[in-house]
Amino acid sequence: MRAKAAQRDPAGTTGDSILRTAPASGFATPNYGLILRGTGKYILLLFFAIISLMPFVWIVGIALKTKKEFYDSPFSLPAAPQWQNLATAWDIGHFGEFFLNSVIITLPTVVGVLICCSLGGYALAKIDFVGRNILFYFFLAGIIIPFQAIMIPLYYQLRDLGLLTTYLAGVLPMIALGIPFGIFLMRAFFMSLPIELIDAAKIDGCGDFGVFWHIMVPLAKPALSTLGIVQFIASWNAFLLPLLYLQKQSLRPLTLGLLYFQTRYESDYTLIAAGITIIILPMILVYVLFQRQFIEGLTSGALKG
Amino acid sequence: MWTSSLPGARNLQSSGRPNLKWRGYLRRHLTALLFLAPALIIYITFVAYPLIGSIGLSFTSWDGVNPVREWVGLQNYTRALSADDIMQQALLHNLIWIVLETIIPLSIGLLLATVLWDGARGRTAFRTVFFMPYVLATVIIAIIFGLIYNPLYGALNQFLRAIGLDMLAQGWLGQPNTALLALIMVAAWAGYGFHMTILLAGLQNVDMDLFDAAKIDGANAWQRFIYVTIPQLSHVITLLVSLSLIGGFKVFDLVYVMTAGGPGYHTEVVATYIFKQSFQQNFVGYGTALSIVLTVIILLVSVLFIRLRERGGET
Repeated sequence: MRAKAAQRDPAGTTGDSILRTAPASGFATPNYGLILRGTGKYILLLFFAIISLMPFVWIVGIALKTKKEFYDSPFSLPAAPQWQNLATAWDIGHFGEFFLNSVIITLPTVVGVLICCSLGGYALAKIDFVGRNILFYFFLAGIIIPFQAIMIPLYYQLRDLGLLTTYLAGVLPMIALGIPFGIFLMRAFFMSLPIELIDAAKIDGCGDFGVFWHIMVPLAKPALSTLGIVQFIASWNAFLLPLLYLQKQSLRPLTLGLLYFQTRYESDYTLIAAGITIIILPMILVYVLFQRQFIEGLTSGALKG
Repeated sequence: MWTSSLPGARNLQSSGRPNLKWRGYLRRHLTALLFLAPALIIYITFVAYPLIGSIGLSFTSWDGVNPVREWVGLQNYTRALSADDIMQQALLHNLIWIVLETIIPLSIGLLLATVLWDGARGRTAFRTVFFMPYVLATVIIAIIFGLIYNPLYGALNQFLRAIGLDMLAQGWLGQPNTALLALIMVAAWAGYGFHMTILLAGLQNVDMDLFDAAKIDGANAWQRFIYVTIPQLSHVITLLVSLSLIGGFKVFDLVYVMTAGGPGYHTEVVATYIFKQSFQQNFVGYGTALSIVLTVIILLVSVLFIRLRERGGET
């Protein structure tokens, strides 16, 4: 898909750099219709920007209010921000623990997917062996298999392996679920690299793994970072998988931790809002800092899958 | 190590000596196997093998505990497809979900994408804002909107009361006639930024010559949009529709967290029903059969999409 798009776009206009001007903006005399249209445009954009942001603003607002303030004037800004609400929620919610669990589950998943898929994708793209295409389709089929199709026997399988309610139950299946797309992405990337690179390195005395590690991996950084972001979001935000396989409080990632926190303190709005705030603010901050990478990674994931 | 055992084997193998040729062949296969081993082992153990297990379990009436897994043939399937009212209701909800989840984010996304494409300032900022919900976990979004829909202290009802529309304030998630729609609106809210971003990327590839030609021929902005822009976006729109289709069948997190299928079964979808059947009521065999039905539906949709896309690629 992307390759096709690139072909149809020889000038390389894809991306942020190009800003098309309104078709008739060159008119010298003020055109009131156009001005109206221009204003309408921004009103529309701002309207939807508010719709997108409002829920978060509301939640952060509540998190910083006193309870009384919340009941009395739900829409006002907090008179004096109650920062200690966040600290309270952090303490009673065990969010430090949940955060650590999310990291313990997500990091190995991302690393595992990157290793498995760069190695496998390279072999499928650049090594000539019998059954290469069959193997590729075998992996590719996994893209359309929903988690529901495997979650039930997997539960009993993990139990029999003694992995249920251990971190590995959150990590290994998550890697497995990420492999089909990762293989697909990395294979496509390695196929785009010229074979001469490999031959040249081999003449210089590089072994197969040497070629892969010293030549291919450095070149594959863009593809690896795309895959890393896609897998990070998938693991960090996963819900059903940890809900099934990590049924122990000490293993809960943030998503599950927040859900149990919310169920437990249901009536305490400011506390729940504070818990949500603790979780979303760092995430939003990271997203805004790396918005281009996030958006490109996640959309190219969709465009290629 | 195996990597450096035979440097330059690739050059030697073309020399035509059968022994070396054969060794090169063997080595290539061994290397490929070693490179593929980690992915293959994990993928087979945690995806392929359980998938076969699913198919096997779906023909039994297993309860998850009994050491004997009684074979019941196609009984689970006939029940799922013809005799289970809740399953049919759930499928209907998935279909409603899909239709609205396709139309709403796609239209909003298209509107915003064209406006941004038409040359608005702050494009990156707007795109960042619209896309943001897509990065956050569905669970978090579900919890936030659970609070927003709260009948007493939720933002929605408080807002309606504040502007004098008290009679519209209601228990959005507690009533059969509003619950499903309330859930779908959350999904639409979270999804339109993603649709917009994909459409905006698609718009970058619109052929401007065609656009200008249509203008010279006297087509107004609306006609240009309908007859020039939309057809060139058909590829991207097909993609978004199929993503909504597949996503609409798989939807779980949002429903499970916000209503758990209630009130009654008024927001039950196939995925939550499977979850309840297999993990809460321990009808493991039946739950697995339901999951296979869902998988087959998703497979059919995906194949249909791949066909559509291939056809689109040729024209």
